[in-house]
Amino acid sequence: MLARWHALLLLHLASWASLSLADPVRSFENTAIVRTVELGGSSTHVTTSYIVRSLEAGVPAYYFALSDEELSKTSWIEAKLKGGKDTLKVQRHSVHVDDRVALYSVTLPKPLAKNASTTILVNTIQTHASKPWPPMAKQSGKQSLLYETGLYVLSPYKSITQRTKFKLPTPVVHSFTTPSAPAKFTQGSEQSPVVQSGAAITYGPFQDIPPSAETMFVDEAQENISVHYQYDHPVLAVTSLKRSAEISHWGANLNIEDKIDLRNGGPALEGHFSRVLHQMQSSRNSVPASIVRNIQMYPPAGIRDPYFYDRIGNVSTSRFRPAISSLSKQSFLELRPRYPLVGGWNYSFTLGWDAPLGDSTTYDAKEDKYTVGVPFWTHIPNAVVDEAEVTIILPEGATDISIYPPFPPNSISRRTHTTYLDTTGRPSVTFVKYGLTEKHTGLIYVSYSVSTTAHMKKPIAVGAAAMGLFVVALIVRRINPKIHKGKKTA
Amino acid sequence: MATYEDIQALHASLPPFEPIVPVWLLPILAFTLLASAFLLTFYFTTLPKSTIPVRELSVASLASVLAGFGVVALFNSVGVYV
Repeated sequence: MLARWHALLLLHLASWASLSLADPVRSFENTAIVRTVELGGSSTHVTTSYIVRSLEAGVPAYYFALSDEELSKTSWIEAKLKGGKDTLKVQRHSVHVDDRVALYSVTLPKPLAKNASTTILVNTIQTHASKPWPPMAKQSGKQSLLYETGLYVLSPYKSITQRTKFKLPTPVVHSFTTPSAPAKFTQGSEQSPVVQSGAAITYGPFQDIPPSAETMFVDEAQENISVHYQYDHPVLAVTSLKRSAEISHWGANLNIEDKIDLRNGGPALEGHFSRVLHQMQSSRNSVPASIVRNIQMYPPAGIRDPYFYDRIGNVSTSRFRPAISSLSKQSFLELRPRYPLVGGWNYSFTLGWDAPLGDSTTYDAKEDKYTVGVPFWTHIPNAVVDEAEVTIILPEGATDISIYPPFPPNSISRRTHTTYLDTTGRPSVTFVKYGLTEKHTGLIYVSYSVSTTAHMKKPIAVGAAAMGLFVVALIVRRINPKIHKGKKTA
Repeated sequence: MATYEDIQALHASLPPFEPIVPVWLLPILAFTLLASAFLLTFYFTTLPKSTIPVRELSVASLASVLAGFGVVALFNSVGVYV
């Protein structure tokens, strides 16, 4: 019993000690925290603005916290100073012993002087944070989503005042929770802690919240709130994306092929799908917004020959508009699946296109290196990607390969890919990443060298095969298969 | 190892990729090279058999070189970018 108490005390001291090594709790004070949650479908934008006052001089980093359930949903984090253009360096810290809260440090561009103030904006994107509620709906039913989160923004520093604001996509909100016992943080004010005005719900302001980035606060004072709102756009998810980018130096071409498994994450269909009802709704233009009939994509400009097929064969219901030369940097591709994607349904297809290699690849004559930039994924509106695997296939005989992904992937692997007219195979690099949003469409840069002898491997290989045939012909010409009749008489 | 931003800036400043053989020339090359290879192969079959096949081998090697480049050009002009 005593040993356990000792262990607990040591653990707590250790957490404080390690926290003090990294950044004492008393080095900052949050003058105000405003969290704005823009409610959406498969992706939710959360912007938290921390107005901080420095209590000590020369502290290089500010720490912010995410609860464990927020962490499991967050796919992208960015920190900036208000009014600043550059993004600040954000690092995850495993200093905190607690597993209910994750600590992140933001490196300030200039350490603050004592009692100086600044505003730090932390933008995050959460994927699959809203779930369809009710989970099943009729074919002509409306789509409603439920978003749950903690009432208070967790922070390792004391907060003087705090507010959370939800921005609804439409003013139609079915319900939102009223916090049960926030009395200790509202200072006995008669005003209700939650107020709805139009398409915004504001929780707060809450005063004098102690350092909250610890299990004790989460267990005792933290409350869960939820907002149940109507959402009139499709909720899409690409459960699996396999992209392969193949580079050809002879044909000066970059082929990008995506194998996409698309899923409608809206409420599951209750009952049968009635084609008659769907046709009637289509003719009256009253198909519910949660049913996906077509997907619009904007691949880069300059692409040609797109193809769209699935397991059955080519899907001809698609439209492609190449970019109008210098005016826009994007082409337009509209795909219509074989069947409308109702809530809970999946559709798998393969989509690919060719692009001139000069649009994405450059050549450094001094170093004799080629550098190619391949986008990680092409954003599908209203969709997030659960698992993406991007493979870049370099030409045969590529050496000195260096890779520069736009964000650290979950895994990188090297393989050899063999295709038409290959002898030794082509080096390929595969990146795997989970949880992609519209902010993850950056370019992966790969630099490599291809010597002229390596480049000539293909025609030499074909020539050698042809020469082999000629040699066989030479030999066959000289073989006389005739059975000599009666040349020697016994 | 350069950073991502360095590579991004470098990539924006370098000249774009230029193939050894211009792309518009590939279909023409495919046709001429393969046609010549075919004619040479025909000529090869008419050559007399000799003990040291010097002429046969030289015609064969020329035809294979032309066929090698012709096939690569053919693959690229029909859309299989090898």
